[in-house]
Amino acid sequence: MATVLHKGRSARRSIQSGVLWGVSILALLLVLFLVVDILWLVVVKGAAGLHVTTFSTDTTGIAGGLQNAILGTLQLILFSALIAGPIGILGGAYMALFAGARSARILRFVSDVMAGVPSIVIGYFGYTVMVEHWGWGFSSLAGAISLAMLTLPYIVRTTESSLRQVPKSYYEGALALGLSPTTALRTVLFRPALPGILTGMLLAVSIGLGETAPLIYTAGWSNFNPTMQLFKNPVGYLTYVVWTYLNEPYDAAHQLAYTAALLLVLLVLCLHIVVRVLQRQGTDPSQTRS
Amino acid sequence: MKTAIKGVMLAVTAALTLGIAGYSQGDAGIAMAKTTTHARAASKAKSTAVVKLQETGSTLLFPLFQLWAPAYRKVAPSVELTPNGTGSGVGIAQASAGVVQIGASDAYMSNEQLMKSPGMLNIPMAISAQQIMYKIPGVPAKDHLHLTGNVIAQIFLGKIGYWNAPQIQDLNKGIKLPHMAITPIHRHDGSGDTFLFTQFMTDTNAQWAKTVMYGTSVSWPTVRGALDAVGNQGVVQVAERTPGSIAYVGISWLNKALSGGMGEAMLQNRAGHFLLPTEQTIAAAAKVMIGATPKDERISLIYAPGANSYPIINYEYAIINEKQSGATTAAAVKSLLLWAISPMGGNKQSFMSQVHFLPLPPSIYPLSKAQIDEIHA
Amino acid sequence: MRRSRLWGRLFYGVTGFSAAMPLLVLLVIGGVLFYDAYPAWRFQGFSFFTGIDWNMGNMYANGPMTQNGVQAAPGASFGILPFIVGTLGSSLIALLLGVPVAVLTAFALVYRVPSRVAAVLSPLIELLAGIPSVVYGLWALAVLAPFVEFQLGPWLATLGHVVPYLAGPVGTGLGMLTSGLVLGVMIVPIIAATTRDLLLQVPRLPMEGALALGMTPAECLRFIALPYIRRGLFGAIILGWGRALGETMAVLMISGNADNYTPPNLYSPISTMASTIATLLDSALTDFSGMAVHALALIAVTLLIITMLTNLFARLMMQLGSRDIGVEVS
Repeated sequence: MATVLHKGRSARRSIQSGVLWGVSILALLLVLFLVVDILWLVVVKGAAGLHVTTFSTDTTGIAGGLQNAILGTLQLILFSALIAGPIGILGGAYMALFAGARSARILRFVSDVMAGVPSIVIGYFGYTVMVEHWGWGFSSLAGAISLAMLTLPYIVRTTESSLRQVPKSYYEGALALGLSPTTALRTVLFRPALPGILTGMLLAVSIGLGETAPLIYTAGWSNFNPTMQLFKNPVGYLTYVVWTYLNEPYDAAHQLAYTAALLLVLLVLCLHIVVRVLQRQGTDPSQTRS
Repeated sequence: MKTAIKGVMLAVTAALTLGIAGYSQGDAGIAMAKTTTHARAASKAKSTAVVKLQETGSTLLFPLFQLWAPAYRKVAPSVELTPNGTGSGVGIAQASAGVVQIGASDAYMSNEQLMKSPGMLNIPMAISAQQIMYKIPGVPAKDHLHLTGNVIAQIFLGKIGYWNAPQIQDLNKGIKLPHMAITPIHRHDGSGDTFLFTQFMTDTNAQWAKTVMYGTSVSWPTVRGALDAVGNQGVVQVAERTPGSIAYVGISWLNKALSGGMGEAMLQNRAGHFLLPTEQTIAAAAKVMIGATPKDERISLIYAPGANSYPIINYEYAIINEKQSGATTAAAVKSLLLWAISPMGGNKQSFMSQVHFLPLPPSIYPLSKAQIDEIHA
Repeated sequence: MRRSRLWGRLFYGVTGFSAAMPLLVLLVIGGVLFYDAYPAWRFQGFSFFTGIDWNMGNMYANGPMTQNGVQAAPGASFGILPFIVGTLGSSLIALLLGVPVAVLTAFALVYRVPSRVAAVLSPLIELLAGIPSVVYGLWALAVLAPFVEFQLGPWLATLGHVVPYLAGPVGTGLGMLTSGLVLGVMIVPIIAATTRDLLLQVPRLPMEGALALGMTPAECLRFIALPYIRRGLFGAIILGWGRALGETMAVLMISGNADNYTPPNLYSPISTMASTIATLLDSALTDFSGMAVHALALIAVTLLIITMLTNLFARLMMQLGSRDIGVEVS
């Protein structure tokens, strides 16, 4: 009697277990399907419009190439990295090296909140303050600063955590061995943390790459290649093409939107691969050391 | 002992260099290399005074600016003009704020807007029209539905919900209309087309005149299923894929909408006749209305009297701040606009007929030119 | 030696200033927004959140009207309830669909898939988090909207007499359900990655002990692992929710942009708070009284406050969660 009951219960339990795993695998498959479906759509439809001229000609009204948008995207993320990079790395260094537990927690919280600010709010701020009130007009600087605001928290946080991963005892040991504090900082703290910091930068860049909402109101849009002017000169960028040209009722415009989307996805993919490689390099030595 | 700072600087530089190397993978690498050469080219060009002009606003005027931009590049190679179809609201707002040089609008600025932004000019570039379009499966395009402003207003007010409602069927005796829900589509962004449409509604429906009124942005009456789209392009795109839809579309989008399977309604004019917007009916309406054009050229041309007058026509405005940011910019804006209104330049028939516009009437040309002459640095 | 001290001080100062930068920026943004939003609050008061009529007023009237001591265009009224409902509705659909999928995916990745395969699949899922939101919008427009219009929607609508909110008309596939679906896809990688990291940190010993005691793996998960990660998971969900609330572009492309009404059914067009700021900022700038811009600033303030609260809550949960596990979580 007891064994039968036990058997029944264990059967039910193993069925429950089986169902849970079955559903989990289904969920995983669903997510993979979505990834593949999105990539497939973008690659198949986008590749159809990919020509050499895509890189060598500018966007015209409803079609043309993407040279101005590609260069503009690169300019914007380069400028934003030049702004957010130093500030983020130095800020992260402060949080890892000097800040007390309490202030570090507050600063971390602030960074997280800032990372969560909806990008359109930054766009609103950028337009009303930089573009209108300060009279910068649609410009690379207004766009780059908006992107820098969005990416800064990520750089701060990754810099901090990668510096923290280096045990403080190394630093103290280096000091004990007679190295000057600054040399010690550079050699034993920053060097091992570098891959982590770079990872943060690259992730930040990939976030900037995909932004649209804040740029519409700060960088504007231009059919021509970006100049190195900081003010008054609008800049084109890839996400704008996806967003606007999809809204045009012309096949050529749709094609260009898909091609721009493909380039964006390829750029993101490249960044992710670089990040993977860096992470592997970053983790290996620390593993051997510990 | 500057090593601390040097160390940090080193790390930062390394990070940036590697970062750049990171995103210059593949195609982007080539592009990146080009950035510098182009920057150099651009700065070289700067010495021969390249002027960048931004145009933004009306999506009705946008297709014409699309035609103008490459043509004008041949006339003035040093002027880089980027047109943008963003809606008349954007045109008025950004031209007033001074973030673009040329705003485009189907609506003239209101008195209050001009009080807030003095020195804004409303310069007609051409005459345009707006048509009412619908997508009803089973009704062939050649059967142009007859519609009155009053009936359209009732549809957009939510009082008429089906295509075979008696009010519509009575106007279209010969056509078998399906029992299909009507989906009104309106503009979400600030739009000159909304301005024209709501003026027509205000002129033809008393309730509309009291409640919704007119403007580039209005508070749309609640109609179940009604959709909002951004820009004429968005309206055409959404309307095409929505069976049962009705929408107001600027005439420069007529060809595109027709090829997408939309029908074009014949509208009842003030004299009671049902008309399509054609060169003749637009010209007839213009002839009646333009005589009253004031010096600042802000005037509504909607619902003209006359047997052959199409009811929804308007001036297409360039919204310009008379004070531009520099002498070169002012000169460039001036010559671009003068070229645009010239019958030999932008007002050439070959441009106009592609977007179904009418050129600026000879009697109006001097008014527009006088306004353009006011532009200064 | 003195110079070295000086450099040290300088380094300390510069890094400290940089670390304070996010706080400064946040304060400036918050300050500007509050300053911009205050007139709208005076004008509209609490009915800003409960009204359903968004009306900039008559731009072509002669002169502004005055209400509560501030000026606006005649007939102006700013109620954002439809935007709030659209934002909450679409983000809740996203959670309802995205969370189970994300959590189950993490289960499968940690416990069911060989770690070598998981090492390949995890980056793929993380890539999903890196895809620009306009690309999501593009995909949603091309794939999701037709799917909702012709398959999912009509099927769900047949359940309309059981749950009235599911009843048709399904419309064009541009609306709340499609927005919720795409937001759901967008938050999956965020929640899945965090859940996976949390599961990997669950101590081995109790898990193996439970297995040895004869629990099925599913029971181990239910009784051992889940209690460990509960709060951390909750934090991750709140973070994902915050993302869904603030998303602009993807929603903008497929929401159908409703005006002046709360969605009568699941498929109805909606506007969200974020997408409204994006689409109406320019027309608001044509308001000669300036009140429409103040009203948009008030929406931005509302979003900012919601972001603060969700983050605060999520961090709190994650901190408590990491205490459960006994290790620092991100």
